[in-house]
This record gives sequence, C-alpha cells and structure tokens, in this order.
Amino acid sequence: MELGPFETDNAVNCRLTSQIPDVCQTEDCCLGIDEAGRGPVLGPMVYGICFCPISKKDKLKELKVADSKTLTETERENLFEKLDGAKSYIGWALQILSPNTISTSMLQRTKYNLNSLSHDTAIGLVQYALDRGVQLKEVFVDTVGPADRYEDKLSKLFPGIKVTVRPKADSLFPIVSAASICAKVARDCAVKGWNFAEDLGEVDTNYGSGYPNDPKTKAWLLKYLDPVFGYPQFVRFSWSTAQTLMDSKGVTVHW
Amino acid sequence: MSCNTSVIRVQASSVEQTQRVPVHLMPCEIEHNGTARVSQYLTATTKDCKHEKTVSFRGRGLRGQEISCPQGYTGLVLKEINKLGSDQEDRTVRVSSVFDKLTYWNLETPPNSDDTVVMAMDWPELAEAIHGPVED
Repeated sequence: MELGPFETDNAVNCRLTSQIPDVCQTEDCCLGIDEAGRGPVLGPMVYGICFCPISKKDKLKELKVADSKTLTETERENLFEKLDGAKSYIGWALQILSPNTISTSMLQRTKYNLNSLSHDTAIGLVQYALDRGVQLKEVFVDTVGPADRYEDKLSKLFPGIKVTVRPKADSLFPIVSAASICAKVARDCAVKGWNFAEDLGEVDTNYGSGYPNDPKTKAWLLKYLDPVFGYPQFVRFSWSTAQTLMDSKGVTVHW
Repeated sequence: MSCNTSVIRVQASSVEQTQRVPVHLMPCEIEHNGTARVSQYLTATTKDCKHEKTVSFRGRGLRGQEISCPQGYTGLVLKEINKLGSDQEDRTVRVSSVFDKLTYWNLETPPNSDDTVVMAMDWPELAEAIHGPVED
C-alpha cells in the first residue's frame, strides 16, 4: 500500500482514498467502519471505511473478506489488493491519525480523549463519502465503547441512514471486515516504514507489535528513552506505559 | 531582618569570541541542568509555518516564534564557575555562549505581541523614551 503524503510528513493526520465507483453514486450503498492500532503505544491509529452497493453484498462475500485479526499479514495484503482491484463497485477511504496528533490531543489543556477523537474521525469519514455523492443507506460500525449511545449519536447525525453499531462488527458484517482490512494494512505499512523525523541515525526497527505488553516493544521503549525529550514522535506520549518510563528514567518536567 | 548582599561577578572579557548558539525558551520547567539533544529532537521536528513555528515536546503541542534581542543588547548564557554553599557569598559566572535572537515557545497558544518575552524585548526602547533626556 502506498501511504503517499503520510510518508513525507508523519507528524500530522492524512487521508487516503480510492476513486468513488460510479455505481456508488447511483445505487443504494452500505458502508463499514473499523479502526486499527487503537491499543499500541507506537505508531498511528488508522480509521477505515469501505463501501459498495447493497446489491453487491454477495459479491463482496465471494472475495472472502474476514475479520483482519484472523488473517495473516500476507492474507490481509492480498485481500486489500482484491478490494482495491474491485474499482467498479468497491470504494474505500482511510484516515491516518498520527501518534503526534494522538499525544497532543490527549495531553491538550482542554482534554480531547481517544473516544472523542475516534468518533469524530469516523463521522468525518462518513461525511466524506456523503460529500462525494455515495448513496449511503446502511452504515455498520465496529466499536469498543458502549454501542447504544454511539449508535444514537450517529443516527442523529446522519438521518435517513440505518446505523448499526456492534462490538466485533468486523466478524459479523463483510463490509466492516473489508474496512478493517484496509485500516490494518495501512497501519502495518505505516509502522514498518516509519520515517523518523528526529535525527537519530539508524533506528532499530525491532519494536515488535507496538502493544505495551510485547517484550520487544518494552525493550525498544527502554532503549530509545531520551532523558530530556522522552521519545521520538513515533511514540504516543499519552500512553501510561510511556509516561511511567519517562517518570522513572527521564527528567521531570513541570507544565 | 537579613539582606542578601552577595555580588555576582560576570567574566565578560571574551564575549566577542564566544560562540553563538540557538536558544529556546520553553513554556515549562525542566528539572535538568546540562546538555540535551536539542538539534536531534527539537530542531529536526520543528515546522516553519507562515507566522509561527510548531513542534511538540513531551507530547504537548508548542507554538512559537523567533525574536531578536533589543538593538544594542547581547544575550548571554552564563555558567557558574564554582558552586557555592551559601547565598551570602559572592558568585562568579562566566559567559559560556552568546545569542542575539532566541526562539520562545507557548503551550498551544499562538505567539502574539502580548507574550511576556516580546514585551520584555520592547522595554529598553520604551525605557529610553520615558527616562532619556528630553530634547527641546
């Protein structure tokens, strides 16, 4: 996957999009939303949407998309190529939230928490599809928070669209599985090819999954702690793992 | 009642030859006296926009700008030669580097003319206008 503008500036957010299939502007469509990389202390969080005409749901099933977590990295990449190749009826869009945006939002003086950031990003992507003329009638969303309130919020924002918010929606609805594959492939690609803006010379890229409990991630966080600056912008400073390490091994900073 | 009568002596003899360094005024207190990898972390990630610079430090968004020292003034970075035990004793500091401009940073707020450091740099000119000799 080509991450385009995010490769040149990974300190800010970035939106990547496919072309809008003509048929999506004339036929009633369904749209799935999922995210990748919510938990990790390293790298961006990626939100993905995927949409197609409701009449093409069976064709989507034939592509054998499944929850991205049950697939290997290669399987996900192959499936993304298939989805991206089905240009006549499948469209997608991604919003990459840079770790720097996540840190500065969550540590802002007027706190902007991860849930609000997630909701706003998802809403922004649905609005993008609507603005581009996609005839949305059904939206399916995967969630980690309370589903009912989120469903109400989205239904009110997008009257005329049937919104379904479910935990584990990525394993229930193929269009959400498709969105989760797009998001996960982009997240993996961004992490693997991370271009450090800091002048750190050759950086050890053996950072593991990025999850705080991964021993490789832990070792990397210990190795790359700078007593004054803390971490490169690749790290989410708002994660307690990073804060605990800075508190114990770095110098104290008072704001 | 006691009064602190200690004197601080500045060894300023070699200011002309002293190296010029970039100086950053941070909107936080960093409990650290010593070297820091400023160019590798801060300078390398600073973005120059139209009216301001942006960067992040410890996950906080900073916005700042470069300002010059008032005309005729030179900024000095001073280092204490001997750490003394008592604040009653005289102190001697040497000039470790000099600067004629600095970058100051606000936490999240865009730099503006009300910022204390900007007003401070205006003070010498203002003081001259108030206290200088009046011409007829």
